[in-house]
Amino acid sequence: MSDRYRIARQTPVAVCQKNLAIEPLLVEPDDDLLAVMRRAAAQPATRLVGVVDPDGRLIGMLPILRLAESVVARVVPEAFLGDISDIAGAAQFGHTVEARVVKDAMLPPATVQPTATLVDAFRLMHQRRLSGLYVVDANGRPTGYLDLLELAIVYVEAIEASERETGPDPGDEVEPPRADG
Amino acid sequence: MDVWIAGLVFVVTYAIIATDRLDKTVAALLGGVVMVVLGVIDQEEAFAAIDFNVIFLLAGMMAMAGVLARTGFFQWLAIRSVKATRGDPFRLLLVLATITAVLSAFLDNVTTVVLIAPVTLYIATVLRVSPMPFLITEIAASNIGGTATLIGDPPNILIASAARIDFVTFIAHLGPPAVVIFLAYMVAVRIMFKGALEVHDDVRESVLALDEREVLTDTPLLRISLVILAATIVAFLVHGLFGLEPATIALLGATVLMIAGRLDSEEVLAAVEWRTLFFFIGLFMLVEGIVHVGIIAAITEGMLSATGGDPSITTLGLLWLSGLASAIVDNIPYTATAIPIVAQMGDAGLDTGPLWWALALGADLGGNATIVGASANVVVASLAARAGHPITFREYLPYGVAGTLVALPISTVYVWLRYLT
Repeated sequence: MSDRYRIARQTPVAVCQKNLAIEPLLVEPDDDLLAVMRRAAAQPATRLVGVVDPDGRLIGMLPILRLAESVVARVVPEAFLGDISDIAGAAQFGHTVEARVVKDAMLPPATVQPTATLVDAFRLMHQRRLSGLYVVDANGRPTGYLDLLELAIVYVEAIEASERETGPDPGDEVEPPRADG
Repeated sequence: MDVWIAGLVFVVTYAIIATDRLDKTVAALLGGVVMVVLGVIDQEEAFAAIDFNVIFLLAGMMAMAGVLARTGFFQWLAIRSVKATRGDPFRLLLVLATITAVLSAFLDNVTTVVLIAPVTLYIATVLRVSPMPFLITEIAASNIGGTATLIGDPPNILIASAARIDFVTFIAHLGPPAVVIFLAYMVAVRIMFKGALEVHDDVRESVLALDEREVLTDTPLLRISLVILAATIVAFLVHGLFGLEPATIALLGATVLMIAGRLDSEEVLAAVEWRTLFFFIGLFMLVEGIVHVGIIAAITEGMLSATGGDPSITTLGLLWLSGLASAIVDNIPYTATAIPIVAQMGDAGLDTGPLWWALALGADLGGNATIVGASANVVVASLAARAGHPITFREYLPYGVAGTLVALPISTVYVWLRYLT
């Protein structure tokens, strides 16, 4: 691996945050799912809704697809029923059709602190199959939002800009950067 | 010395399975292998004890059920039937229980309850009632339906294979009591869940909005699967005439289905519950250990001595003992252990016919008593908990015991009238 990639992967997320434009979308656990869907539709770039408690600490998250399916399952359950073939799918469906407020559908939070590196962020998103991630402070309060796509673009563009300034690194062709960290 | 070693290995393995200290498949395999390692039986004896008629019958039926499951058939049938009730809660309960019982008689109980449960959960949400009465009834229906046929419940497969009982004979003997018990149980359900099944008129018709056609994911495969499944059941009905074992028919059905449906064998075989099959393999080796050293013979002798060798007392005692034991421990290891005892009672001169039916009725129906009594119970409890409707051991117990107290007395009367008078 070239030094350039190694350094880029070790960049703290706090450094990248200022280059990211997609805003976080924060809701509360008792918010109605339909209302949250409307807010998410008005802010389509944010693909992971953060759930915060009254003190502003991140206590959960809700990927947009899960949010949409929670509402759609009530209306068109057939779209989901036919695909169920095991106990996990059956349980998930049972849970989904009853969801009415955010806390019914939210997942445990996946967060990084500002000092975490890009590779940490990419790895966590890959492990949890997420398209975004919240950056939180030491008290668990969100300080920013990392969108996978946006972060990957910024990362690759930064490498390319560096290449243009200093010329290609011989190690680049040996091992390209991996999005999964 | 071997007697003590075998007894200890058996008891420890049983305790581990009963208390969930270890995955039950791992526990059974460990117990079976330890019997060989410690020299209680040699490998040849251990492997010879594995009843491959049971293993391949289960594998073939699991493969076919798995293919059918992915076509959306179970959900289609459930929705279609539910719509016919027009949202009447008791009729809904009756219809879902009937479907579960009938499907469980011919297909794997776990697959049936796992695929009927989501429809149930949705219907309960729409009707704004608790899904618990429906799920509890489906557990019982699955176990009662499974009692009716040779392929309905794993204990039946074990018994039929060991006793060389064919499919038709099995239905002829256990079908009638299963139907009577099911009907009696539905009367009990009506009483037990009377207050829990009240639905506002304005939401009743909402079940009609469901479109069953939308859940079918592969209609051509569904047609092929149903034709081959029907042919397999017909073959089970006549297998005695051709001298074919049920396992051969099940494997033939699964193989023809793979060819006719142009299915990838890897995908189809992924639906086979290998954990369950290896659980059986471990149990066969484990039980062979205690048979080999004479423990089973001693138990048999003790039981016959306790009953004075009286056929009626022995048969009805076995029925209730099996019911009680299956309520506490998994009915599969219980049946695997009880089979050699019954076989040796036959060697001692008792007519084994009534004993096999008593064992099957007790093991299958006793499994209803507690939430851990049978695989379908455990799976529904787990599914309900994950869907946000936990059914605790204590919550289930009164309904389970009530159901068993409907089933076992009816079985007692049936066995008494048909075989002992």
